[in-house]
Amino acid sequence: MTNFIVWVVWIVAALSLLSSGIAVVLFSNPFYSALALIGNLASLAVLYLLLAAEFVAAAQVLVYAGAVVVMFLFVIAYLGGRADAPWAGRPSLQSLAAILAAGAIAVEIVVVIALKAGDELSTAADIEDGFGSPAEIGHLFLGDHLLAFEVTSIVLLVAAVGGVILGTAIPEESHS
Amino acid sequence: MPGPGVAAYLIISVILFATGAFGVLIRRSPLIVLLALEIMLNAGNLALIAFARQTGTGSGQIFALTVMVVAAAEAVVGLGLIVAISRRHIDLDVDKLTTLRG
Amino acid sequence: MTGAAWIALFAPAAAVVLIALAGTRIPRRAAGILAAGSALVSFICSVIAFVGLLGESPEERTHFSTLWTWLSAGRLQIGAQILVDPLSVFMMLVVSGVGFLILAYATGYMHGDAEERRYHAYKALFLFSMLLLVEAGNLVLLLAGWGMVGLSSYLLINFWHHRASAVAAGKKAFIMNAFGDATFVLAIFLLIQRTGSVDFRSVLQDGVVKHGSAVAVLIALGLLGGAVAKSAQVPLHTWLPDAMEGPTPVSALIHAATMVTAGVYLIVRTHVLFELAPAIQDLAGILGAITILLAGVVALVQTDIKRVIAYSTMSQIGYMFVAVGLGAYGSGLFHLMTHAFFKALLFMAAGIVIHALSDEQDIRRMGGLGRALPLTYRAFVVGALALAAIPPFAGFFSKDSILGAAANAGTLGWILWGAGAIGAFLTALYTFRLLFIVFWGDLSPFAREHVHVKRFEGGFAMAWPVAVLTVLSVVGGWLQVPWGWSLVNDWIDPVAESAEEATGVTFTFSVVASLALALGGIWLAWRLYGRPSGAPARVRKRWPWATRTLEHKFWFDELYDRLFSAPAAGMAVALGRDVERPVFLASLGGIATGVRSASRRLSTVQTGFVREYALALAAGLAVLAIVFILVT
Repeated sequence: MTNFIVWVVWIVAALSLLSSGIAVVLFSNPFYSALALIGNLASLAVLYLLLAAEFVAAAQVLVYAGAVVVMFLFVIAYLGGRADAPWAGRPSLQSLAAILAAGAIAVEIVVVIALKAGDELSTAADIEDGFGSPAEIGHLFLGDHLLAFEVTSIVLLVAAVGGVILGTAIPEESHS
Repeated sequence: MPGPGVAAYLIISVILFATGAFGVLIRRSPLIVLLALEIMLNAGNLALIAFARQTGTGSGQIFALTVMVVAAAEAVVGLGLIVAISRRHIDLDVDKLTTLRG
Repeated sequence: MTGAAWIALFAPAAAVVLIALAGTRIPRRAAGILAAGSALVSFICSVIAFVGLLGESPEERTHFSTLWTWLSAGRLQIGAQILVDPLSVFMMLVVSGVGFLILAYATGYMHGDAEERRYHAYKALFLFSMLLLVEAGNLVLLLAGWGMVGLSSYLLINFWHHRASAVAAGKKAFIMNAFGDATFVLAIFLLIQRTGSVDFRSVLQDGVVKHGSAVAVLIALGLLGGAVAKSAQVPLHTWLPDAMEGPTPVSALIHAATMVTAGVYLIVRTHVLFELAPAIQDLAGILGAITILLAGVVALVQTDIKRVIAYSTMSQIGYMFVAVGLGAYGSGLFHLMTHAFFKALLFMAAGIVIHALSDEQDIRRMGGLGRALPLTYRAFVVGALALAAIPPFAGFFSKDSILGAAANAGTLGWILWGAGAIGAFLTALYTFRLLFIVFWGDLSPFAREHVHVKRFEGGFAMAWPVAVLTVLSVVGGWLQVPWGWSLVNDWIDPVAESAEEATGVTFTFSVVASLALALGGIWLAWRLYGRPSGAPARVRKRWPWATRTLEHKFWFDELYDRLFSAPAAGMAVALGRDVERPVFLASLGGIATGVRSASRRLSTVQTGFVREYALALAAGLAVLAIVFILVT
């Protein structure tokens, strides 16, 4: 019974993930794209829950959907305007090559996964209850991966400073 | 584990990645490009979490959290750039921002 | 005794250094006195060494002395060492003695020249180099002296460097000598390979190479090449007449008395190696004989007073080569000594004549100077008689010593004897031709205008050395008298045993025949040139082709020009035009241009379009994925 529910949830989440992804890429109004991104992130959070990563799912919703996308929406609202649709203009070599490249990447890696699906990817390890819990994440961050923890905090600091500088620099005389 | 195997998650992650790549390559507005970039990063995150579940170690989740932080930082800087560009009354068109040419 | 030898060696070197350092602070004459003084010191020290050797028995008259280890290369140790033995002391006496006289003469000759100090410094340098050459105790030090005399010769030939002909002559002399140096060095290399040393004690042993083997021939040939070049024998003789561009004392010292005899010294010193390759020793004699005849004949048509004497030098050294080619080392060295006396005398007398006529050297403009310069004339007569080998003058004894050895040496010896006898006839002919044209008859119009005579006809400084040499040219030959004593041969014997001379009837025949030919030559010269007659002109008209060949010195210069210098010059021009300019010079610009254009073409990749960069990344990823699939 649980298996069936899990499958259903999985299919719904996967479909909404892919469709919202395509929506982000294809909408001409950036505001709609950002909203589609929220759907994308939410579907991802569901998938994370299915993969026993509760903390990450929560962080995903809080940080990504809650902060990053809100930042995007602020900027979009500030700048306004519409973007051109992706199919605007003549089909150029660039667009053709883009389709090919993206398609090629997808196909190739799917093939690889399919090839390997039989042997290594067949079994998932057994996990305890505390896998993916905040306690576990905390242990790892402050234990094995302390360096990553510290470095990411520096990255955040630098980004914050950079953002402030980029935002408050007075433009000299406009058109460059 | 209940539900589909890790392979299915990985395949979804790849398709999402390809979608994001396609978006980066095809759109001309830098805002949308940044959004597509976020999708690519998230695809990577999904793959990481799937592998963490498969091997039973938590390092994949730590990695995913770090990626999230970096993505946030990059979004800050990118949006700051876009704001700065638009303040200078330059068209927000990636094809027109070509001063760094050889 | 070795101490005296060291002082003799370094005295002229000290003179050079002092003159060079003092520069223009000392008066001009002082430089000359310094140089001549150092030569006198060398001579006194040589006499001391000689006396020291006299006091010992002949077997122990070999002293090596090393100051320090000059070069050290693995097993090969080359010391700064000299050898004091009968041969080197003999050469030292000749070189420093005659050198002193000529350097003293030069203080008068070069008086008033703009660069007199440089001249005396070079002369002292030459003296040092020559002493180094004869005193050296190993081959490499000898080579050092050898090269340095070549250098001094070059420096002194083009002393008047603003004269293009002098510069060309200097170059010619140096390059030809360089060829000889190269063969000499190759011989040294072979010897080093054989014995691992260059010391005379190890190298000049009887068994160092197999008798008659190819290596022995090569070594002897290399040494002979060096000797032939330095002594201006055929075929490397064309530089000596041109070397007369230098001042007359230079011609006297370097190109008559000392440097050109270095080849003879070398052969005597390394006679062991020549005796191990008898074919080459015979070749030396043959080359000497050819030179006697060729030089003698060419001297008949020369019109420059110094060039006649130069060809005479070439011819007389040919006699010395004949001597050492036959193994008559003592005779060869004896002739070297007497030749130094009378040849230097002739050059110095010619120098007085040239000075008196304000540097005119063409004999066609001279005549009747016997009346204007009586003392010089008398000195010249003595020198000419010595050169023509008339008894009791010096040349007679030495030349007959050589001819006597030739008469005793089988078929080849008789051929060489024949060349020597004809050479005696030619020598007398051209020498007295010169004397009659320059000194007899009436004063030529040119001489009447230009002659100016100083006290003692050339100044005291030039007169007294001439007087000394005149005396030596008379008595110098009495050191070795046939049917009497042979002091020179006995002195040299411990170092190089001389071959036996003929005795009895053969010897008498040789003496009488050569004397008759010499007197015949003088008689012919008197007939042709003693009185003004049209005979020479008539001879010239009857055989124009022969005359032209003689005047062109048997076309040797033209041959060498065609063979060596024209191709070399052509190659230089061609290389400059086809290799240097397009390949090297243009390549510099070409490289720069190439890099610039390549980078310009590469920079078109950076279009500035971010999407294109991203596309490149994605495409690369796709390709890598394929590779990954295929590989694993």
